[in-house]
Amino acid sequence: MAEFSKQLERLEAIVRKLESEDLDLDEALKLFEEGIERLRVAREQLQQAELKVKKVLEIESPS
Amino acid sequence: MGQPLDIFAAASAEGAWTVSEVTKRAKHVIEAGLPPLWVRGEIANFRPWRTGHWYFSLRDKTAQIDCVMFAKENFRLTQPIEGMQVFVFARASMYEAKGGFQLIVTELLSTDQGGLWKLAFEKAKAALTKDGLLDPARKRRLPAFPSRIAVVTSPDGAVLRDIQAVVGRRWPVAELIVVPAQVQGAKAEASVCSALNRIRRLPVDVLVVARGGGSVEDLWAFNSERVARAVAAMPMPVISAIGHETDVTLCDLVADVRAPTPSAAAEAATPDRAEVLQQCGALGQRLARALRIASRHVVERLDRTGDRLARSMEHRLEKSHALLTAHSARLDALSPLRVLSRGYSVARDASGRVLKQVAQLPSGKEFRLRVTDGEVNGRVQ
Repeated sequence: MAEFSKQLERLEAIVRKLESEDLDLDEALKLFEEGIERLRVAREQLQQAELKVKKVLEIESPS
Repeated sequence: MGQPLDIFAAASAEGAWTVSEVTKRAKHVIEAGLPPLWVRGEIANFRPWRTGHWYFSLRDKTAQIDCVMFAKENFRLTQPIEGMQVFVFARASMYEAKGGFQLIVTELLSTDQGGLWKLAFEKAKAALTKDGLLDPARKRRLPAFPSRIAVVTSPDGAVLRDIQAVVGRRWPVAELIVVPAQVQGAKAEASVCSALNRIRRLPVDVLVVARGGGSVEDLWAFNSERVARAVAAMPMPVISAIGHETDVTLCDLVADVRAPTPSAAAEAATPDRAEVLQQCGALGQRLARALRIASRHVVERLDRTGDRLARSMEHRLEKSHALLTAHSARLDALSPLRVLSRGYSVARDASGRVLKQVAQLPSGKEFRLRVTDGEVNGRVQ
């Protein structure tokens, strides 16, 4: 999950590049495939249905 | 009066009180006769002891009483200053070791500027300001998509339930790390600091420090300079939600974001999953459209290149054709056929060798003669 931001950032960068630059088809296709894959992973990460709750006991802490 | 006073008769060993008896009796009388009461006066001769107990006098224009406030009662207060007008809640008693009448103070409120709480708050706030800890430039941005959210709060309260509900609804993708702490009472300051210290070493994206509403005293730990400094030193952004919206604690001031309630803190800490999914959908659409446009560009370019290729081929063909015509005219001029058409002929033997000399044409030699419109066979006679 820590990579979720990075995943989304990269996805946005890909879309921007595809939208703004004159790429040859090969490159455009490669970017598109990467974008689709990142989108899939991002969506998958969002599917986790239930909040994980972990209690960390204060007494474990050597203070 | 003329009779000598027999002082010893009234002070027989049996009739006399011991000092302890008197003080003990006096103590009883005082304690029974004066229920706990509020007393107003001015602080004088304030003496804090190493043990934490405070000794001072309360006085007005004409009288003075010795007072003691024990450490277990005063630990949350800053020391009053000399001459300060205060209200104390106290029970009257007798300090037997000195035979002194005294007030045992359990509460002390200043009439100046909202009391000692205010005084303590302002003092700590000034210290934090001096160290730049309240500088707005210090405030950090919250992470957009936290994966680990830590919460410091009391372990079994409505606060934790509220936070858990909000995070579970909005961003169940995250992991909630709950570090319970005592949030009120004498041990709260140390407990909160220890919880913060524990979280400091965990890989956490954002921290929520929360406590429900309560009296000024209940919120005391979150006005402690020590807790405020610990919050300021956290390596991750901190959201603080202490007490009700109207209570602003030092913890709130030092945190990166202040939320009015624990639920609001949980909302501030999390994005809404439904919105993020929508955002992903929109990105997917943009991606598809961008590819379509990108491929259209490519096709157009390919078309343009094809056109140019065709044009250039055409051009080259034309040039070649012109060249060919010129060459063929020249060739035509040089062609032996042209010569033949003028009446010449050429003789060749069976292998095609041109017969140019008499020696090549002995009697009886067969040859082929090429004339302008064909060939005939011949023999030398």
